[in-house]
Amino acid sequence: MAETEKKILDPVVLARLASLKLRVRATAEGVLSGLHRSRHHGQSVEFAEHKEYTPGDEIRHIDWKAYGKFDKYYVKRFEHETNLRAWLLVDASGSMGYRGEEGRLTKLEYASALAGTIAYLLVRQQDAAGLAVFAGAVTRAVAPRAEPSHVNAIVETLEGLSAGGETRLASAVEFLVERAQRRSGVFVFSDLLDRDERILRLVAELRKRKHEVTLFHVLDPAELTFPFEDPTLFLSLEDDRTVEARGRDVRKGYLELVGRWLEETRRFAAEADLEYVQARSDTPLDEVLVPFLARRERGAA
Amino acid sequence: MSLSFASPLLLWGLAAAALPLVIHLFFRRRPKPVPFPAIDFILRARQETRRRLRLKKILLFLARTSLLAAVALAIARPRLVAPEARAAQGPAGPAAVAIVLDASASMGYRLGGGTLFDRAKADALEVLTGLGSDEPATVVLCGGPLVPQAEPPSFDKAELRRRLAEAELTHGHADLTSCTGAAVRALSESAPGQALRRKLYVATDLTAVSWRLDAPAPVVTTPAGPVRPEVTLLDAARGEALENAWLSNVAADPDPAIGPRGYRITATVNGQRKEPEGDATLSLRIGVGKEARVAVKSFIEIPQAGSMKKTLSHDFSPGGPAAVSLALPEDAYPEDNALFLTLNVPREVKALLVDGAPSPVRQRDAAFYVEAALAGAASPVRPSVVDLDGLSRVRLADYDVLFLLNVRSLGPKAPEVVDFVERGGGLFLAMGDEVDPESYELELKAVLPAPLHVVKTAASEHGEHAAARFAEVDWEHPALSVFNGPAREGFESVRTYRYMLLKPERKDSGSRVIARYDDGSPAFIEARRGQGRVMLYTSTLDQEWSDWAIRTSFLPAMQRIAAFLAGGLEERRDWPTPVFAPRLVPAPEGVQVISLLAPDGGERKVEAGRGPWAVTPDVPGLWQVRVRRDNGKEGLDPTLAFAVWPDPRESDMRRLEPSELTAWFGGEGHARVAGDRPPGEGREVPLWSWLLLAGLAAFLAEALLVA
Repeated sequence: MAETEKKILDPVVLARLASLKLRVRATAEGVLSGLHRSRHHGQSVEFAEHKEYTPGDEIRHIDWKAYGKFDKYYVKRFEHETNLRAWLLVDASGSMGYRGEEGRLTKLEYASALAGTIAYLLVRQQDAAGLAVFAGAVTRAVAPRAEPSHVNAIVETLEGLSAGGETRLASAVEFLVERAQRRSGVFVFSDLLDRDERILRLVAELRKRKHEVTLFHVLDPAELTFPFEDPTLFLSLEDDRTVEARGRDVRKGYLELVGRWLEETRRFAAEADLEYVQARSDTPLDEVLVPFLARRERGAA
Repeated sequence: MSLSFASPLLLWGLAAAALPLVIHLFFRRRPKPVPFPAIDFILRARQETRRRLRLKKILLFLARTSLLAAVALAIARPRLVAPEARAAQGPAGPAAVAIVLDASASMGYRLGGGTLFDRAKADALEVLTGLGSDEPATVVLCGGPLVPQAEPPSFDKAELRRRLAEAELTHGHADLTSCTGAAVRALSESAPGQALRRKLYVATDLTAVSWRLDAPAPVVTTPAGPVRPEVTLLDAARGEALENAWLSNVAADPDPAIGPRGYRITATVNGQRKEPEGDATLSLRIGVGKEARVAVKSFIEIPQAGSMKKTLSHDFSPGGPAAVSLALPEDAYPEDNALFLTLNVPREVKALLVDGAPSPVRQRDAAFYVEAALAGAASPVRPSVVDLDGLSRVRLADYDVLFLLNVRSLGPKAPEVVDFVERGGGLFLAMGDEVDPESYELELKAVLPAPLHVVKTAASEHGEHAAARFAEVDWEHPALSVFNGPAREGFESVRTYRYMLLKPERKDSGSRVIARYDDGSPAFIEARRGQGRVMLYTSTLDQEWSDWAIRTSFLPAMQRIAAFLAGGLEERRDWPTPVFAPRLVPAPEGVQVISLLAPDGGERKVEAGRGPWAVTPDVPGLWQVRVRRDNGKEGLDPTLAFAVWPDPRESDMRRLEPSELTAWFGGEGHARVAGDRPPGEGREVPLWSWLLLAGLAAFLAEALLVA
């Protein structure tokens, strides 16, 4: 990847790009540039059914194993990936509006950039991408479609988001269970700060329904390092709760709790066959997406 | 054991221990509001650490409070006092207080960047500050010649503070036994109706010479009977030994070996030190002030304890009055490191010998003997010889002394000789066969000490038993004072066969016989005439009438007589006087003394009128005298300068054992030594060091808790 492209993918640089479209475009270009260097290229079609040979069919598509069994010529028929559907579930609760430092992307902006980029990449390879934005309930939804212009609809929806309300991932899961009848890819972008402790179990339900679930756990660096020293009045972003504490006094306990929580989340995701990706909002987007996409390609191959 | 404080006023510092509480209550920082998403984790973390944090806060608060309290307490210097030591401090309640401040010269000893007197003054002021408003006090300054005076205790602390602040070190001795006696008498006079305690504070260096422990210790007289005061000794030296090296004596004697104006200066050097000091310099300085110069420098070893003598020789040409000082390197007590001495070194004397009967036979020529005696290498006299004819061509004003040896008559030169004497010249007359008493009576009557009469023959032959001997000799006379002990034999053994009898002199003639023959006839008679001096010897200076010319006493006597007649010898030698010893400043003729210039630069006026003036020098060193002469000119007269030596008692820096002094005051029940060496080792336990340790521990605990 060229140095300038890498620079563009830096969240601080992306934060200066006012339009999410530009962010998505810049990120997608960067990610594609990174993937082209990979030796693993995915297949764009997959086997669907056999058809009896008729003149005019491609001879190279004749299935010689079937001829050996049935003594008839059958031709393989393939189905394009456009038949795949993907849902992007974006958490727009109050806690996602947090940024630890001025000049950094909020967690929602970072999640939107990730979701938009993945939507772009999906549509580009003729997959259908849909969007559901949730907080206490699903507030906005865009049905999955594969047209190139559909990306604009998704990005515009993401661009119009503002953080607010409490996190309730269950609402998004319920929404998806109702609408995604067939096997789909599900991408969840959330900080998982849900007061409902069953949240991961609900997500795991989707996996049981054969959906391929990927959890993008979006966190601000301040949530991981807790850089507070002096007496501070901490205000909740989702309700009226406040806590007064001296930063240096509670830091150790806080970091222990957060570390334990992350470890449990990662372990549960592994046990439930959910793909878990931790995304710090100060990490360049390609560093999050390229390894993830490369893993998926290897899995498909 | 009970707790007491050396500086109880400083306990106000304990208020600082409340600072952490005040800061906690009134200066608490307002927390800054910050939105944060993972608030649940903070809540849980705080819940888990709440108990630990509360404990830490309490410990931190305690550590900070303890730190401040420990330091504040340590500054107040607390100590545990045993019951007997407590008794020394007396029962509680207000007290009448007397403070004795030692202002003797030894308090000028420098220790730790300042003098002991500065420390003692600060100690005394601290005592005064610590007194309650209901405690009257008095101050006694002790030092110098004055009888110590103590006023009854008063409540005017401002006046007492001013007196202490303005107190100055003296150069004198302090009799602390008298001073404490005066202070205790003043305490006896304080409010006899009130039940006040009586406290005595003595700020001193504890030198032994200041105390007379054979005298009874002072007691306060009360209606209930005599009571011992509660005595606190404020040791300005804080228990340290005071080393000193000093000069106790300097003596000067003529040293003919190095010339007529050569002197041997002998210094007595004393040491009181832990170890002897080798290669110390002893300097002989001449002059005073900016004109002083080092003439001789010598290396000596200052003894550890005891004294040694060192002699330095120097030629003080061309003579005249000289101020000499011997100096050791300056030490912690510089007052006694240098001693001054004034010398009146004889100037060169020009003598004219008039030979009235020249003879080719030397034994018959008086001028031969006199010239030989005066022309020696160590002699201050330069003689010239003329006969009577030659005398007429000589200008007498060119000479200091005129010797008329067996001269018959002066003729027309006689008035000039008389005038010469009256203007300050010296005249020596020796008899002989040529001398005509009548001519002398006519020509020299105005200057003769006594009229000549007739020649007496004691023995017709040169016989041992028949000859006359000198008797009734005034050995104190400057001309004869050189003869001491066996040396007098050389003078007393002179045999005189013939001599001139003198007519009885008038009572108001001013003549003085300084030696007589054994028959009572004058041998030497001296008189002042005008500004000059005249001496008459009634026999001859050759071997015709006497054998003195060949005696050992002849040479020194003639040199001394020549110097005396020329005014080069003083009648009294000027000995240095100790500081504060009264002395007289003489009143030379034609000179009016205006003032005295002290060694410290101060000028002391003297009363108008004719002297001598009685003065009491209060500073050791060289005192100079400013005079106005008859011609109206003013200036310093070096012949009147005199040396004043420091009080030798103050050089003795041996200190009393505190237990000796406390025992004298009545034992530890009545007296104690404040400062670093409390009496009764182990009876008082200082706590400040432990408190500082506790403060340090609190500081470390606080640092650990914060970390």
